[in-house]
Amino acid sequence: MKIKTRIAAGILLAFMALMPPGARRLLADQTDRTHQIGAKVKCMCNGCDQSAAKCYHTGGAYSGPCETAKTILKEIDAHIATGKTDEQVLQAMIQEYGPPAYVEPPKSGFGLVAWVMPIVYLFGGLALVMVIITRWRKRPAVVAAAPGLSGVRVSPELLARAREQAQRETEE
Amino acid sequence: MDVFGSFALILAFVCAVYAFAGGIAAILTRHPLLIKSARQAGIAVCALIFTSTLSLVYLFFTDNYSVAYVVSHSNRDLSTFFKIAALWSGQEGSLLFWSFLLAIYVISVLLTYRNKNGELMPYVGVILAGVQLFFLTISNFVASPFKALGVANASGAFDLVSRADGNGLNPVLQYPEMVIHPPNLYSGYTGFTIPFAFALAALLARYPGEKWIHLTRKWTMIAWCFQTMGILLGAHWAYAVLGWGGYWGWDPVENASLLPWLTGTAFLHSVMMQEKRGMMKVWNVWLVFITFMLCILGTLLTRSGLVSSVHAFAQSSIGGWFVGFLCIVMGVCLVAYFKNRDYLKSENQLDSIVSRESSFLFNNLVLLVACVAVLSGTLFPVFSEYLSGSRISVGAPFFNKVNIPLGFLLLFLTGVGPLLAWRKTSTESMKRNFQIPVAAGAVGAAVLAIAGVREMYSLICFSLCIFVTGTIVQEFYRGARVVRIRSGASWLASGVDLTLRNTRRYGGYIVHLGMVMIFMGLAGQAFNKEVEKEVPIGSTVHIGQYELLLQSMDQKQEKNYVAERMIVEVMKDQKPVMMLYPERRNFPANQESGTMVAIHSTLKEDLYVVYAGMNPQNNLPTLHVFINPLVKWVWWGGMVVVMGTIVALVPNRAAVMVLARAEVPSGAPELSGMQPAPAALREGHD
Repeated sequence: MKIKTRIAAGILLAFMALMPPGARRLLADQTDRTHQIGAKVKCMCNGCDQSAAKCYHTGGAYSGPCETAKTILKEIDAHIATGKTDEQVLQAMIQEYGPPAYVEPPKSGFGLVAWVMPIVYLFGGLALVMVIITRWRKRPAVVAAAPGLSGVRVSPELLARAREQAQRETEE
Repeated sequence: MDVFGSFALILAFVCAVYAFAGGIAAILTRHPLLIKSARQAGIAVCALIFTSTLSLVYLFFTDNYSVAYVVSHSNRDLSTFFKIAALWSGQEGSLLFWSFLLAIYVISVLLTYRNKNGELMPYVGVILAGVQLFFLTISNFVASPFKALGVANASGAFDLVSRADGNGLNPVLQYPEMVIHPPNLYSGYTGFTIPFAFALAALLARYPGEKWIHLTRKWTMIAWCFQTMGILLGAHWAYAVLGWGGYWGWDPVENASLLPWLTGTAFLHSVMMQEKRGMMKVWNVWLVFITFMLCILGTLLTRSGLVSSVHAFAQSSIGGWFVGFLCIVMGVCLVAYFKNRDYLKSENQLDSIVSRESSFLFNNLVLLVACVAVLSGTLFPVFSEYLSGSRISVGAPFFNKVNIPLGFLLLFLTGVGPLLAWRKTSTESMKRNFQIPVAAGAVGAAVLAIAGVREMYSLICFSLCIFVTGTIVQEFYRGARVVRIRSGASWLASGVDLTLRNTRRYGGYIVHLGMVMIFMGLAGQAFNKEVEKEVPIGSTVHIGQYELLLQSMDQKQEKNYVAERMIVEVMKDQKPVMMLYPERRNFPANQESGTMVAIHSTLKEDLYVVYAGMNPQNNLPTLHVFINPLVKWVWWGGMVVVMGTIVALVPNRAAVMVLARAEVPSGAPELSGMQPAPAALREGHD
């Protein structure tokens, strides 16, 4: 290795060592970052509902991201290179393509309905289950144990049914 | 042969009309000859559908390019293996294939129960014939796979023509799993028709007891098993072919396959409540109805163009037919329910909230909430466009955020439910059953946290997986120990003996173990890494512990395509470990191309290498590399689930418990009309 190259490499290493950990990670993970942000931006090809990073549009020149998705990823790369944060990059993409570029519903306006619905299902269902349990617990037993059975003759049919029921209820 | 196939399909339609109408007349008149003739017509429908399907396969094998469907989906160079897959690669063929699989189920049911359940079977026959009639109507009059190829002449009429070669099969379908994934998935969809038919028939006929549940349990499990295999094979196909590094993208078509699986899973659990305790009768009937309707809705979603999907292999305008059929099915179910709902009253009470019954209720709640959340998320873009004027996208991040917590709840219940006793579980029993698994889960979480796992969701998931595995291992250990003490056999032999004595219970545990493995694999996604880079020949790409050197590129000519291939040497710690060959395939028949991913898979992680294309400006190939931890656990987990289901389908080898006949005084009065008192139950399991 030439002396100039060694000096340049030494300066670069020293520079990297002095860099704050966050900045080092930024350089190392730039591709990951692009794809992480790309996963929040919808592929705008109008042929799929996938994100730009996860587009696997079939029928294109290659499997995997279609040309539209690739363009979006390159734009994200360009925004990252200007030093923007993830949120700023995302907002820049939304500004360019409009609200439909959100890959998940926005947490405002009508989009909020999508987020609220699963919570309503869960708690509504939970309330329903509690009502059912309460009603079942209040329900009287259909069959009460007969008192003083000792000494009573039990028919073979009855015995067989009792055995069957006992087996059913204790098997699992 | 195309005329023969078409004729068989028309005859099948005519016979289905008779099986349906004659069956209704048979139910009304109770005439034995009419009942028999309707059943025979049902069998004839199946035989004719088989004939028609085999005719279409024959047309593919013999390269008959006078039939439009064969021209669109095959070519001479296509291998015989993929010519089978061409059968279901388009709309018309896949609908015929649907009828074919349904016919296998229908003929099996009609022959199995031909001399049994005389009150129920005429109703079952009518319902099955009704479903077949719908699909045969579509295949005959809306989307016939036997349409001849024609071109318009000068007078506007069509001349029949024959082409020298076909357009070929879609490249992404030319993958071995595409030959087994759709049959499995369709077998799941069509299989749920059988429990639906029995449930509706039992309701219409007011069939006594839980007989329909016993009759359909195996059919439901078979359908569920196929659906599980179909979903996982589809996921593996997407992983190995589409080249985006993942296996589940919450695409509407994927969601459509998941919906009936979720309700089917709920049914397989809640059905035990009815069998053991005579409870949840209304719920079970409606779960079966909904599962069947979700199968139809799935087909509607994927074929109507209602929602965007990358799986647009078979889109057309037949959605209206499915909407109509869905409305009819819903109408019939509602009428049958409201007319006969008094027959579905529960027999028992709930003794305690800490019981197996409650765990089943919560299990069903979580599964149903997941189902409704996935369904509403899938349809939300349509609703938002209709109600607010702008289409709001609902992509994978939304589904992940909603379903991951629900998945955790389900995983937790998978561990808790089986250890709770029917009716009531005491505090002592809880302590005895849960202290070791809970401790194992907590220790596991602590160890992982110390080892540096900081992803909260993954940490929770791994911890729950350890907990559930602990409960399952404990159950096997306790049971096997009893068998071992009695028989003196080895631990393995005792475990096998135990499983074969109660296949349903221990098969269920094996299924749960498989689900735990799948969850482990899913949790690994949090640690995925990827890098995409243009690489000149001789240069390297680093990812994780691996260094990938692009040695060279070559081309290989195959019968149906030309493959452009990267030759990549993989090194780990500066030492060469393997060669990988990701490739891009160009199919001259339809001028399309596809990717073949190279995957080095271990239990720890997958090294997933994609040849992502060539930059036309600088002629540099792009290498897209992923490290996907624990993916193999998903596929192996799927195999364990299937194995567990097969075990659960096997009849028990010996009775679990034998009760001795009670000694009764000879002079005591007889109580033949009296109901038996509820048996005193031991807590926990045997």
